[in-house]
Amino acid sequence: MLDREFLERRVDALFVVLVLLLSAFGVLLVFSATNDPDVALSQNLWFKQALYVVAGLLCAVVVALLPRRIFSALTWPLYFLSLGLLLYVAMGGGSVDEAKGAARWIKLPGFNLQPSEVAKVAYLLVLSRYLSGREVRLENLFRAGLGLVTLRPLWRRRHGADWEMGLVPLFCVPFLLILKQPDLSTALVFMAMTLTMFFWSGMPLRELFLLVSPGISLVTSLHMAAWVVFIVALLAVLLRTRLQLWISAAILVANLFAGGMLAGAAWNSLEDHQRSRLETFVDPSRDDRGAGYQVRQSFVAIGSGGLLGKGFLEGSQTNLDFLPEEHTDFIFGVLGEQFGFVGCAGALGLFFALLSRILDVAARSRDPFGNFVVVGAAAIIGFHVAVNVAMTIGLMPVTGLPLPFLSYGGTFMMTVMCLCGLVAHVRFHEGEV
Amino acid sequence: MAWGTRSEMDQQRRYARTRTLLAFFGLILLVLAARLLYLQVFRYDENLRLSEKNRMRMRTIVAERGRIYDRFGEPLVRNRASWQVMITRADMTNPDSLKERLLSLRFADGAPVFDSALVSVRFEQSRWRNKYGSLRVYEDAPPEVVALVTERADDLPGVSVEVESRREYIHGTLGTHVFGYIAPIDEKELASPEFEGYPNSARVGKKGLEASYEHWLRGRDGLQYVEVDAFGRKIGLLKSMPNAEAVSGNSLVLSMDLELQKTAEEAFPDSLKGAVVALDPRNGEILAMVSSPRLESNIFSLDSLSRKKGWQNIALDSARPLNNRAVVGVYPPGSTFKPFTALAGLRKGAITETSKPFQPCRGAFRFGKRVQHCWHLAGHGPVNVVDALRVSCNVFFYQLGLAIGMEPINEAAAMFGLGNKTGVDLEYEHPGALIDSVEYERRYRKRLGWRWSRGQILNLAIGQGELVTPLQLANAYGALVRGDTLWRPHLMQAIVSPAERVVARYGKRPLHPVSMTPEEHETILKGLEAVTSAAGGTGHRMAVPGVRVAAKTGSAENPHGDKTHAWVAAAAPIEDARIAVAVVMENAGHGGGVAGPVAGAVLRKFFELEKLRGGPDARP
Repeated sequence: MLDREFLERRVDALFVVLVLLLSAFGVLLVFSATNDPDVALSQNLWFKQALYVVAGLLCAVVVALLPRRIFSALTWPLYFLSLGLLLYVAMGGGSVDEAKGAARWIKLPGFNLQPSEVAKVAYLLVLSRYLSGREVRLENLFRAGLGLVTLRPLWRRRHGADWEMGLVPLFCVPFLLILKQPDLSTALVFMAMTLTMFFWSGMPLRELFLLVSPGISLVTSLHMAAWVVFIVALLAVLLRTRLQLWISAAILVANLFAGGMLAGAAWNSLEDHQRSRLETFVDPSRDDRGAGYQVRQSFVAIGSGGLLGKGFLEGSQTNLDFLPEEHTDFIFGVLGEQFGFVGCAGALGLFFALLSRILDVAARSRDPFGNFVVVGAAAIIGFHVAVNVAMTIGLMPVTGLPLPFLSYGGTFMMTVMCLCGLVAHVRFHEGEV
Repeated sequence: MAWGTRSEMDQQRRYARTRTLLAFFGLILLVLAARLLYLQVFRYDENLRLSEKNRMRMRTIVAERGRIYDRFGEPLVRNRASWQVMITRADMTNPDSLKERLLSLRFADGAPVFDSALVSVRFEQSRWRNKYGSLRVYEDAPPEVVALVTERADDLPGVSVEVESRREYIHGTLGTHVFGYIAPIDEKELASPEFEGYPNSARVGKKGLEASYEHWLRGRDGLQYVEVDAFGRKIGLLKSMPNAEAVSGNSLVLSMDLELQKTAEEAFPDSLKGAVVALDPRNGEILAMVSSPRLESNIFSLDSLSRKKGWQNIALDSARPLNNRAVVGVYPPGSTFKPFTALAGLRKGAITETSKPFQPCRGAFRFGKRVQHCWHLAGHGPVNVVDALRVSCNVFFYQLGLAIGMEPINEAAAMFGLGNKTGVDLEYEHPGALIDSVEYERRYRKRLGWRWSRGQILNLAIGQGELVTPLQLANAYGALVRGDTLWRPHLMQAIVSPAERVVARYGKRPLHPVSMTPEEHETILKGLEAVTSAAGGTGHRMAVPGVRVAAKTGSAENPHGDKTHAWVAAAAPIEDARIAVAVVMENAGHGGGVAGPVAGAVLRKFFELEKLRGGPDARP
């Protein structure tokens, strides 16, 4: 049964190679950033990272080979378990992550459990299950929302948004719990995943744009001119989309609100570390010695790499000594300094290739649940890559999202490998459903 | 076949959507790549320069500590520049030969410049510490050392001279108990929330005003990112980094009058222990405060060796020169307590201004089996309260105490703040104590045979047994003579920002209202004035020509020595008291004789200055 043809059909060799390549590259980078010959091998971070890779790969293989029915059975229990964990942290049960001033962890013997990581996978599965074979439309979402708010479904079910009713709490509960931690960046991962899967289900780009427009309005409101341009574009899209009048009005009001009055209020409600990061992003030189310092150091490290870089193990100890989180969130700086533009572009190319292989699985798969899972996994990985790299080169505020495969860290490595396992699983079990 | 077509249609849609997603992701990556190209190719030179080995340094700029001025703006405490010779491992080309070269540096007379033991230790330390960190090889270097090192800077890569500011107490030991001193922060302080954010190299106020107003004086340290050359010399500030200016601390303007303080310091003999307090009873402003033995606060700004030596001398001295006796020292008030006993008698109706209800003084008083003497063994004969105050007749006050009991006496004393902290803006203030039967039993419970009996009243009525601080007594006399309100004494008048803007002011704060009938007040004043003006008054040394002075002397029994503690307290002028003085001298004998001249000198200087400056409250 395990003949060559069978394997070729069920396993994407290029995908596996890309995963291995990126993981190995990650171990090398952590090595160059943190290697300390005075410390025992087992205490060296690069060695630990290698162990995480091996454990992650095992986990991926198990996920890939598990029978489909186990996933079906586990989807909902896993989702509610993750909600329970998030709730536990939200009630103050977790440990405080001192560096970020937020409670995100549960200490368990042997390792720290990060409920939001579990929730990423659980939510991906449950949303895929929920959306499979369905098409999400903006109007229906709004009707469902209105129905929930007015409690109409309890006695009348005339509007055409029955199943969307479940979608709103399905997303909102974990999203708000994570937002409350506070962990804005992880909450945004949920947002990116959800939007991508809505698109996959058939929601037109116009409607997606309208859905995220209040967020864009909030961001652009920092710049008057940009905000005006945005509002004009929004009006144009609203006119073309021809939604029901109250929905158009609601979107417009939400945008004006977000851009105007809310900007001030939201600013005040941000946590201190978030605010300092945003301020630093707008103006790195005004900082509080923390975030702005990292960003500047990261620029300098990457920029000093030049076209070809200083070479492996050359220079990382000089400049990056200054960089407090060089091996985790700022690993891309280590890459940039040693391997230059060519190395950076190469790494981005590898990520692009990986994503194209993942999406290829989605395109081929006829299994509606399966291809949602794959698209969601692609969204998670792609969002992490884009945000992390943008942050290290100063295009985005410092958010604390790690870079898949390359950043040091066991929990996130597990999550990413799990996602890869899910992709492989869909490919492996293609045609069985 | 309908099923098949539909499936194919789905598949085409899926491919289309994958392409859209991939294009979107690709677009983002292109933007990132463009930015990378900009950073790594177009800004390459600049970034490379910045990243080059140890080119960038982060240095803390210690904020200049606020100064301290007297009430007329005369500087009392300021900062001086102090040079430190530092070594930085990362900037050295050859550490071993550098060490040799440093040690071979000689002064003109052939004496070595550097302490070889210290230099060796520092070089050893630099091997293990952060190589970009600097270590000090010469603390508080004199100008000739600075000149030597800077001349040879090219020869000594890795050696640098840094300047920092150190505290200078301008008038030597003058007022140093008030100012206190600063010293390196200790472990306990570092851990306490009060000192959150202090670096472990910080120097903080340990005593006196330096401690009370630490957070006002300190300022905010700055941060500089500088580019340095291979010799560790600063090339320039990196403008693009988050540099922060140091913000100087706020300055204190005190109520202290430098001229008056000088007079008090000079009048009080160095050889004696004790304290002088002078304050303005109209508002509680402290004009002068001396504690002896003196404290040399400047030693805390010297290099570590001299600092250690000086500190040992201070810490091991049995006379405890660190204590500010004006607020921490407690003494029995002795006869200076009698006006409060007298006031209680007047309030209770036991005596009037002219009545002589008690047995005349024959030099002693018998109570049960005990015989208590008057200080004047020949006896004062029959006296009224005014005379009793003037001549300080013990027998009169024994009988008055017995007649009314301790409660009204302590009530009267408490009205003037005795037995309670005054709330002055100095740390470790002692509350003192007023004694009644309850307090006596509580205090001396553990001492065998010490039981309360009515006989104790005899001692307490003449101030042997209570405990007061010089500050309390000065404040009490001021309020007693003015007769209106007891104010909270204070030293800080105003806090002034580096931009010379007043950021805080110490307003008048009442401690206690004073309630006396005009007759009672009049009677007490008559007695106290007679002390300095009338024949046979014990305080004639406090007389000021042309000014009516109310005063009282006292000699407090002292369990630790053969001589009594000498006390005087005074306030003047009687019709509108603008100064109150208290002086205590430990083991010095009788109050009027030894302490009187000190208080007299302060009072005379005060009125002389007033005249010189052109009237009360005029500025020079």
